Order: sequence, then structure tokens, then C-alpha cells
Amino acid sequence: MNYDVIIIGAGVTGAAIARELSKYKLKIAVLDKASELPSGASRANSSMIHGGFDDKPGTLKTKFCVPGNKLWHKLKDELDINVNECGSYVCAFDDKEINHLEKLLEQGKNNGVPGLEIISGDKLREKEPNVSREIVAALWSPEAAIINNFEAVNALIESAKINGAELFLETLATGLLFDEKNNIRGVTTNKGDFIAPVVINAGGVHSGEIAKWAGDTSFKIIPTKGEYFLLDRTAQGFIHSFLFSCPSKAGKGITVLQTAEGNLMSGPTATEQDDPEDKSTTAEGLAEVLKGARRLVPDFPIELNVTTFAGVRANTESGDFEIGVLKNPRGFVNAAGIKSPGFTSSPAIAEYIAELLKEELSDRIKLTPNEKFIPERKNIPRFLHMSMDEREKLIKKDPTYAQIVCRCETVTEGQVLEAIRRGARTISAVKMMTRAGAGRCQGGFCCPRVAEILSRELNIPLDEITRHGGDSKLLVGKTKEFLLEKGAE
Amino acid sequence: MGNNKNIDVLIIGAGPAGVAAGIGAKKEGAENVVVLERDWDLGGILQQCIHTGFGLRIFREELTGPEYMHRFITEAREAGVEFRADTMVFKIDKENNSVWTMNKERGIECLNPKSIVLAMGCRERPLGAIHIPGTRPSGIYTAGTAKHFVNKEGCMPGKRVVILGSDNIGLIMARRMILEGAEVEGVYEMMSWPGGLRRNIAQCLDDYGIPLHLKMTVTKIHGADRLEGVTVAEVDDNMTPIKGTERFIECDTLLLAIGLIPENELSKMAGIEIDPVTGGPVVNDLLQTSNPAVFAAGNVVIVYDLVDKVSDEGLIAGANAAKFVAGKISPDIKKIPVKGGQNVRLFSPQFITGEKDAIIYLRVTHPIERACKVTAEPGLYTQRLRYARPGEMNEARIKASAIKANPNLKEITIDIQPM
Repeated sequence: MNYDVIIIGAGVTGAAIARELSKYKLKIAVLDKASELPSGASRANSSMIHGGFDDKPGTLKTKFCVPGNKLWHKLKDELDINVNECGSYVCAFDDKEINHLEKLLEQGKNNGVPGLEIISGDKLREKEPNVSREIVAALWSPEAAIINNFEAVNALIESAKINGAELFLETLATGLLFDEKNNIRGVTTNKGDFIAPVVINAGGVHSGEIAKWAGDTSFKIIPTKGEYFLLDRTAQGFIHSFLFSCPSKAGKGITVLQTAEGNLMSGPTATEQDDPEDKSTTAEGLAEVLKGARRLVPDFPIELNVTTFAGVRANTESGDFEIGVLKNPRGFVNAAGIKSPGFTSSPAIAEYIAELLKEELSDRIKLTPNEKFIPERKNIPRFLHMSMDEREKLIKKDPTYAQIVCRCETVTEGQVLEAIRRGARTISAVKMMTRAGAGRCQGGFCCPRVAEILSRELNIPLDEITRHGGDSKLLVGKTKEFLLEKGAE
Repeated sequence: MGNNKNIDVLIIGAGPAGVAAGIGAKKEGAENVVVLERDWDLGGILQQCIHTGFGLRIFREELTGPEYMHRFITEAREAGVEFRADTMVFKIDKENNSVWTMNKERGIECLNPKSIVLAMGCRERPLGAIHIPGTRPSGIYTAGTAKHFVNKEGCMPGKRVVILGSDNIGLIMARRMILEGAEVEGVYEMMSWPGGLRRNIAQCLDDYGIPLHLKMTVTKIHGADRLEGVTVAEVDDNMTPIKGTERFIECDTLLLAIGLIPENELSKMAGIEIDPVTGGPVVNDLLQTSNPAVFAAGNVVIVYDLVDKVSDEGLIAGANAAKFVAGKISPDIKKIPVKGGQNVRLFSPQFITGEKDAIIYLRVTHPIERACKVTAEPGLYTQRLRYARPGEMNEARIKASAIKANPNLKEITIDIQPM
């Protein structure tokens, strides 16, 4: 299989690069080891589009965060992504922390962040009545926003696919191929070799290992776990925006936010670990999150919790992104170590990567504009958010939209069918693309229903359906099957 | 297809409460009675309850869930109740009680019934409710979801099972999994008493040699794709796991039987007052909610142990909804508040009218393993009990005559205390 460029990893970084490069006449392959998108740090994070005041001038984080924020505000309409343009507050509890807000304000202004303002605690409580009475001031960033991260990654990938890119799921990159001059020739995977003169490393928490395949040992990834609580939408409006506490050495600290879909959420911790795949929550981590949540929002309604989860982010020793073209071997590009504000930065990183390819790898790859590029992409209809008129019109066109599958999130059969048409193969993929199972009963009622639809539409037996690919089958066999086995013994 | 104009009683949910409400409304003379059901078949959760034990009181027979419902549905159909399956209610307008429904054939409709009976039942508490640390592999189900897979799809969710929580669905599923060829390692219950009925402990656990571990819980979930095991530990009196008591159990399935929650999203949308303790609407003994045109019955009000009781309550709610339509329920009906005593965890109804003999259903906070009595003061009811357990619903029966004889009655206090 011959391509112009191979992107390893279809998290938000890889997806944004794929979509950006699909603006050019290129044959693009995107590889991801997961059965569904997103799967790594892009799946489990704060879903924040940051203002851009957190990082020091001169860093790559600052270079890409502010323009990334602007790009998302545009992409949200182009790609039909649900974004809550709510702004964010950094909360200060004493004079020392007010000093910190002032520093952040100054830094933000230098970084070109628009609209920053320090407001009093009382002014904050006018907007967010449920925050602690002990908060004395807050830094308001109006351009900050909260994005549906599942939709965002799928929207970018779908847009890239509309424009010719190819996505290969369950395809684990295992090494690089080199030509006789020791330059990049492609990628080896569990599904065979993929040939291309340019390989982009968007491997997230694995990007350090992948860089080593190219002989690049200049950076090391420190997998850093972040744990979260996610509450039911009945808590909608308890908090309307994104609340930070003042950062400590450990990171930006525990935050409280309302997701783009109206769920109250709190997290993350920042625990360094060796295993990049360990996404388990811990009693200590969850206790830390709850404590932090209650500090900001004393009546944080934890009794409405529907799930806990953890993500592993790709921290680097330098604390900054690792982006650039290797001198040797030629053809290898790092978009590595992308962590907060990585989601925000990704569209700007993607534009920068395209520039790098033009400037530094023109001998290997030609970026000729694709005149047929289609920028727009439509999301699967969001039945829950439609007016009665819109619903009626949709049902007239396709009656499967009148059949509710998920009661908690009002997801219809029509939406599930559309998700399957767009490539969903697992219960989790359907959940991320439609929200079926994301509500208060966590799939108790709809999981069997979604499994039946997957089985019917894909023409595979019900007991072959998986939760999230791999060995995650929902069912292990037919009733009484094991009785027969026992009888044979 | 039925007529949407002049619906007298609109019932939401065709489980045991809703179907009985349809019969009750018809018996009381309501003309146009419609029951809406979101699932494709009628009968609610009882359709997947293929074990016997239903209808012992009403039919004096041990029926399966589908058999029990079949009898009620047949009676309702013969009485002229109209059923609409595959019909989702997604909104009730606070202002005018308009009910918005959706169905593949009928599309979106706005119904304006003269009265409504809420009979949506309850749902199971999910894993998130108790935030157990660990991974999120496949193989973790609420007992009811597992029941659906086994009883309706003929598929096994796993081979080696641990059950967390001891509510009735969990106990029933422990037995079912054994009968279908799985192993059940044990049932773990955080409290020092089981959540389900004594008869289910005997018939579903003891008879099959499944151990019930009280004051224990699952403290960690292991496995990336498929569940590989759980860590269990003993808990102290504050429900905190005790260090050093942890034990790893290899299993591929964890079933959750950690309680039921009345499903009241629609009730809340309709602006109906909810009792924060039961999680269901505040009702009087006519099962009338804070909105006089809206009635409620069954597990949507308070979670029952026995379906017979749910059917009884459905009949009452349906009949009173019909009476309301006929103008036979006065807007200034008497409402004597009920108060729970020291050992009452929850109860329903919250008000007594004295119009008819009434039953107050109540559960104790702490078990009493010796002779005790349930009382309704002042002097309205006393009944001796051999024991009282949180897992089993008790009753206080209030005679209408006793209420009428006491015109100055301000409050009724119910309690269960040792003799």
C-alpha cells in the first residue's frame, strides 16, 4: 500500500493533521491501534479550548494555543462540532493567588489572548452562584470554550476522509521501514507494511517510543494520569463554564466544568506512571478530585455521578511540545508530546506541520492544493437538541428517527444507524458518536439494543459485538453452552 | 389507530402499574383510556422475569412475569384499554399537561388528556453511582441488563460471576447464571443485612450454595478489555474498606445489584413535587401528585418488593384518575401529612385523605430481628411483626372511619419499633 504520507495516531493531533493535509493532493493514510476514535488522551481529558494565558512566551505551547483557539471557533461551524463558548475563570482564594492572577493576566496579554479581565469573587458569583464564598477574585477569559472532544476528533477524521484520506483502525504501528539511504520508506504494522516517503508521529503517549524507531532520543514521554468524575445532565446549569484553581507544581490543578453536552465534570489529577496504557482510576485519585471540586464548588453534587474515568497524557521532560522534522532519517516528522493545551493547539499544529512539509521536505513530498477540497462536514443529527419542527421533518424523511434507543440522552435508532454508516463498530464508538449510553443509566437499557442493531446491520452474531474492540466482547456464548461443556467433562 | 381527542386517562408505561391503572380507570367508567409504552412489547420489566413467584396473592398461583402480565394485559384489552407500544413520551408541559409522544408510524404527537397516570417504573443504579476505582473493561453489567441478555437474547454475559449488592434482581440473577451454566463466586453486600427478600436469599442463594458476604464490597476492578477480576474487602461501620482485608477474585463478570431508582425525569419536567427520600412523586392515598390532574403508581413512586402491590396501586391510581375526570375528587380534599418515626427510612403516600381505607408502605432504617410492631399514631393502627428488615416493605393500614372519627387530626406518625 503506497501513500504520500502516513500519520501514526488518530487522536486530535493526528486527525487535525490528516484534515489539514487533505487540503492538498496527497494520498494520506492514518493509522490507529484502537477500534474506535478517539481512544487515547483525546478521549479522556477536560475537553477544554484554552484561552492561552497559561504558558510562557517563546514556548511551542504558546505559539500554537492562541491561534488554535481561534481556529476552533471557526472549525466548530465548518465541521458542525458542539462547542460551549462559555469562557473560563481561574479562581484565587487569597492575596498570593491574586498576585498569580495578575501574572497570568500580564502573560496572557503578551501572548495575545483577547478579553482577559480580573473580576471580584462577588462578580464571579453573580455568574456562577454555586462557587465557593471563599473565592476572592477570578481571571476571566471570554474566548475559552468547552468542546465535545468525541465529536471533534471524529469530525476532523470524517472531513479528512471526505477529502480522500484513508483511516485504518485496529492497525498498530510496530516499526519503521527505511530505504537504501536509510531514509523513511514506510511503517510496519500488525496489518502489513504501509509505504510512504513521509511519516508523521502523532502517537500521543507512545510518541516517545515511535521517535526512537527513527533514532530520535531527544525527548522522553512521561505518561501522566488524570482522573475525573462525570455527573448526570440533571446537574446542568449548576456550573455554566470552566473553573480553574490556581496552578501548582503538579499542573493546572483540579477544575470544575460543564461539558459541551451539559454534564458537570471535575478533574484531573496529575500522577506520573510508567505504563502508558494504565487508565485505571484509583481511590486516592478520586478522593483528590472530589476534594478539589468541593474547594471550588462546595455543594458539588457527587450523588449525581454517572461514571469515573482516567486518561493518560503525554507529558514531556521539557514541559513543551516536541514538533519538528528530523534531519536524519529524512521523512520523519514529530508532532509529539502533545498534552494540555494540546487539544486547543492541534489545528494550529496541523497548519504548522503543512508548512514544515513544504519548507523542509519538498524533495520527498509535494503539497499541491486540492481545488476540490470540501471544508464542510455535518454531524449526525442531534435529536435531543432539535426543535419539535426539526424533529418532525427528520422523521418524515426517515422514520427510524422516531424510534428511541437511549432513553436518558434521547438518542434515536436513526442516529445509531448513521453512526454505523460512518464506521462505528463497537458499543463505545456508537456512544461517542451519538451519546447512546452516555446518560444516567450508563447503557443499562440501551446497551443490549445498540448491540442488537450493530449485529443486525453488520450481519455479525450478537455474541461477537465488543464494548471497545479487542477482547472486550459483551457476551461469552449462548445460554447452557457451558452446562454442555461441564457435562462432557 | 386510536383517537387523540378526548383522552380521559393517559397512562405512561405499560408495566404492572400502568396496565392495572388502565383497568382501574375503565372500571371507574372512564371512556377513552390510553396506555403508552416505549418498548416494543407490553409488560415492562416483567417480560424478562421468566422465574416464577409472581401473583401469589392476586391469583393464588406461582406465575412467571410474562404470564402474570399476560393476564392483566388481556383483562385490560377486554375492558377497552388502548395500548400504544413503541411510543416514547419525551416531554410533559408544566403549563397545560400536554404530553409529547413519538412513534415510527404516528410521528410526533401532542396529546391533551384530562388526566395522567405516571407509571414509568424504576431503573437500576449504575456503576458510576458508587465510583469503584479501577479499569472499565467489558463484563460489568447491572443485574437487569444481564437478565435481558440471558432471558431475552439467550446469551451469556460471562462464565464466572461476582455479584455486588444483594437487591432482588441480583439474587434472582445469581440463581439464573448457575442454571444457565456459569459459576457464581459470591454475593457481596456492603450493609450488614441483605437488600432483597428473605425468600430470595433462601431460594436463590442458599439452595445453590452461593455465599452471601455481608459488610463487604468491591474495591477495585481489574482488566483492560475483558474483566479479569475484582478486589473485595471488608468495610467498617462508615462503609470504608478496611486495609489488610483485601482479596482478589478472578472473574469475567461483575453484576451490580445495588438498588433501584424511581424514574422521574418526566415527572420533574411536569413540575411535580418529588420526595427526596423515595425519589418518587409526593402523593396522597388516592395517588394524586402535587398536580391534581396527575396520578402516579408503582415503582415510579416508591420501590416495591412484590409486583402484586404494584398492581394494587395501579388500580387505585387509574380509578382515581377516572374519578378526577368525572369531577368526583374535590379540589379542597383533606390532606393529613404522614411523618416517619425514628426507624422509618422511607414511606409513601405522604398524605392521607380519609376518603377511603388506605395503606401506607414503609421501610425500616435498621433491621429488628425480634418481635416488633408497626404503628400509626395517634392510635390509628398497630400490628405485631416477627421481624422488620430494610429489604422488605411493611404496611400500616389506615381506616377511613378512623380518620373521619378524628376531625382534628393534624398529623399521622408511623414507625416500627421493638415490642
